[in-house]
Amino acid sequence: MTFQEIVLELQNFWSKQGCAIVQPYDLEKGAGTFNPATFFGALTAAPARFAYIEPCRRPTDGRYGENPNRLGKYYQFQVIMKPVPAGITDTYQKSLKAIGLDPKKHDLRWIEDDWESPTLGASGVGWEVWLDGMEITQFTYFQQMGSMPLSPVSVELTYGLERIAMYLQNKNSVYDLDYGGGLTYGDLHKPQERELSRYSFETADVALLSRHFNEWEAEGVRLAGFGDPIPAYDCVVRASHLFNTLEARGAISVTERAHYIGRIRNLARKVMELYIEKNTPKEPAVASK
Amino acid sequence: MAKKIKLNEFLLDIHTEPFPARFVPPALDQLKLNAAKWLAGKIDHGDIAVAGTLRHLILTVKDVAAKGNDKTERFKGPKVGAPAPALEGFARKYGLEPAALIPEGGILYAEVHSKGESASVLFSAMIPELMKSLQFPKFMTWEESGFKFGRPLRAITALLGDKIVAVTVAGVKSGRSVHGHPVLAKQPVSLKDPSKHAAALRQSLVIADPEERRQYLLKALEQATKSTGGMAEPDEQLIDETVFMVEHPVPVLGKLRDAHMVLPAELLKLVMKKQLKFFPVVTKDGLLHPYFIGVRDGLSSGNELVREGYQRVLEARFNDAAFFVGRDSASTLESKLPLLERVTYQKALGSMSQKAARVESLAAWIGERLRQTAPVDEPAVMRAAKLVYADLVTDVVKEFPELQGHMGGVYARKDGEGEKVSLAVEQFYYPVAAKSPAPATAEGAVVSLAGKLDSLAGCFAAGMIPTGSADPYALRRQALGLIRIVLEKQLPLDLDSAIARAISLQPVAVPEPAKLAAQLSDFVWGRAQSLFEEMNYAVDEVRSIRAGALTNLPNAFQRLAALHSVRSDPAFDSLAAAFKRASNILKQAKVDDGLSPERALLRDQADYDLYDALVAAEGAANDRIVRGDFEGGLKTLVSVKPHLDAFFDTVMVMVEDEALKRQRLALLSKLVRAFRLVADLSEIQAAASA
Repeated sequence: MTFQEIVLELQNFWSKQGCAIVQPYDLEKGAGTFNPATFFGALTAAPARFAYIEPCRRPTDGRYGENPNRLGKYYQFQVIMKPVPAGITDTYQKSLKAIGLDPKKHDLRWIEDDWESPTLGASGVGWEVWLDGMEITQFTYFQQMGSMPLSPVSVELTYGLERIAMYLQNKNSVYDLDYGGGLTYGDLHKPQERELSRYSFETADVALLSRHFNEWEAEGVRLAGFGDPIPAYDCVVRASHLFNTLEARGAISVTERAHYIGRIRNLARKVMELYIEKNTPKEPAVASK
Repeated sequence: MAKKIKLNEFLLDIHTEPFPARFVPPALDQLKLNAAKWLAGKIDHGDIAVAGTLRHLILTVKDVAAKGNDKTERFKGPKVGAPAPALEGFARKYGLEPAALIPEGGILYAEVHSKGESASVLFSAMIPELMKSLQFPKFMTWEESGFKFGRPLRAITALLGDKIVAVTVAGVKSGRSVHGHPVLAKQPVSLKDPSKHAAALRQSLVIADPEERRQYLLKALEQATKSTGGMAEPDEQLIDETVFMVEHPVPVLGKLRDAHMVLPAELLKLVMKKQLKFFPVVTKDGLLHPYFIGVRDGLSSGNELVREGYQRVLEARFNDAAFFVGRDSASTLESKLPLLERVTYQKALGSMSQKAARVESLAAWIGERLRQTAPVDEPAVMRAAKLVYADLVTDVVKEFPELQGHMGGVYARKDGEGEKVSLAVEQFYYPVAAKSPAPATAEGAVVSLAGKLDSLAGCFAAGMIPTGSADPYALRRQALGLIRIVLEKQLPLDLDSAIARAISLQPVAVPEPAKLAAQLSDFVWGRAQSLFEEMNYAVDEVRSIRAGALTNLPNAFQRLAALHSVRSDPAFDSLAAAFKRASNILKQAKVDDGLSPERALLRDQADYDLYDALVAAEGAANDRIVRGDFEGGLKTLVSVKPHLDAFFDTVMVMVEDEALKRQRLALLSKLVRAFRLVADLSEIQAAASA
């Protein structure tokens, strides 16, 4: 099964589970959770069922294309469901089978791993799912966002596509994966890994990044003032990625780090409050039941 | 004829999504305890037992009576003689006639007898309460009712005999289905009665009993390693965790590649244990063998695929570790030192760079202090002290904080720092646990002491002083480390001066440094005290050596041992009593214990005898003590006892004659001083009379 076929199968599978297959969001981000389908989707009481592939940038994880398992830019496949369907862990196991990973032939383990995003003021309870020792999925029941308890609770599944593909294709290096279309993953990504690692660790302009961080943060605050959470949220996403790059570049000390995170979190909280206010019916509808 | 009573077994199997291993044992303990509490008095029953895995919390109660106990409840009503409507109203509420109310102390009571409820009603009331009573390290919600539990609930199996105990918790209705291994079990098994439960689970590849699972695991580990000539590292923590991470443990043996065996063994082991929960395979001496064991949850067939997966993921982790080691090794430890300026130690206490400077200064001071009595290689101490914190900014230590110190040693060797320096850096944080070793060398000991003294002095100066059980900076462990190093390395270091010195180096204003030093000294002594008590020295013995103990702890320990040994002498208790009498007289007379008697000014035979005996004993005792023979010294001093007894029997100390009184007080003062060379006997409690 090629890399792209895995993505297609997962889309197919979750589409049949009633999910809308939405597209990646068009900004640089560290995790699929930043896609508005999840970020905003988890916030209100309205039902949410989405699945999508999301490219993620983790500048500190860059390895110049030399580590067969670690990448500074890769893909996640993300599912969010609210309310949580009964037997969701079983459904997840079935999705593995759909992409050719028969749990019966492997060691499938659920290892405690509570998720936390200090920048989003969000936290959840859950696991990383290990297939023969390799983490292939993050499985999270969101509990809080913007430091507020969520009700109803959403469940978020994040598939590590490259790792899954390595298993399926029996490859020891991510770069040897058959991507589809006659290309390897390395054809598409190795030059990018090399150059982006150099960028993140060596050549990124710290002064420019710091300036942009300040500017996008200020812009976010300004835009929130107009009462539109969506463009203000884009500023959160941008500031967050700038922070990640600055950190990889070694430009942020321990004390500064907490300060930067605090600034993003404050902006994110503002955006969340705005979004909830705007998307919650003012007059509670007459109880229908 | 007694009716034959039918007794049933009760079963509750709370089936959930996977709990973290650490959640389960405490939950099982609570389940048992809380069930016993809930049932007490309500219904007769036999043994209560629990079992469980990461997905099952199981409770069984044997020999449950068919009905709960009858009960009588009393409700307080109006006063005797209250108006009739009030009486009738109250009585009616409990279904009684007013005449049936019971007067007591001027008040009327309604007494209601009720028949015991059926066992199934009682147990269906118990289940939700029991589930709510369980405390988890962290709770979560997942469904509409907002029920809080450790992990989402999947099913409840609840049977009393062959009947279902009907409950609904968090939207889940109880039933008789037993859910086995989530991947390998076929369909849920429909359970006839509780006695078949463990077998049903086993058939579905779940070993429900933790102890059975543990034994199964240990045996399987042993078998799996047989071919390697080594054994699975007997890491208790990992074993405990594994027992609650898998329901049916199946070890899978894999091999490490030679290329990875060049990485530091401690790093390899940590990657295996912490990142992958694999058991390293070691020789009997604890040396790493090129094998590992992963414990699979499930079947032992088709392990080849799993082994390949394990090996691949392990190699990936090792590659990552190698990447970190490579990056760290690209520059020397020394060249990393400036980075410590950006690492905060404590807000009030500055950066790690500032801490390093203090530790360096303190290490120099200690080295100098020991120059006469226990000289160390001072240049090596200084070099090590300079480098000890450099590994905190390495990638490996950022990823594995447990390897602090250890990686510093590895990198120091690579930098060509020399073994003495490298070892001191490596063992800087020793002892890491109560029973683990202190630094091996004197140089390592000095640097380690400096680090611990600085941490203690810094936290005390900044007001971060442990209270009760709260000790967020692990200062008790630091203090114990301090004590152990000084004792085990036999360092005649004056810890009181060292504490004062360490406080003087702190970057915070200390208004009363002497007072703080005394407080810290008491804190450190507290650890010494518990260490000695753990070694079975009596509380009063330890107390009697407190004075000056920290100025020379190895010496204080010898004094303690001498006292303990001499104490078995039958004369000792009464000597201690006489000694206490002497100290009390001095205290009441408010004279200091620096007085010296003059023989010529004494008067009675008992005065002279005690004086002569004391002078002789003191001289002889001193000779012994100087040679380190504290026991001999103390025994010599004990020999004055008959003369002391005669003195107290025949003369009065507090006589009218001021000059004579003063001489006798001086005589007692000399006695007290002589014994203090070993211990303050006034602290000794007389043994309970037989």
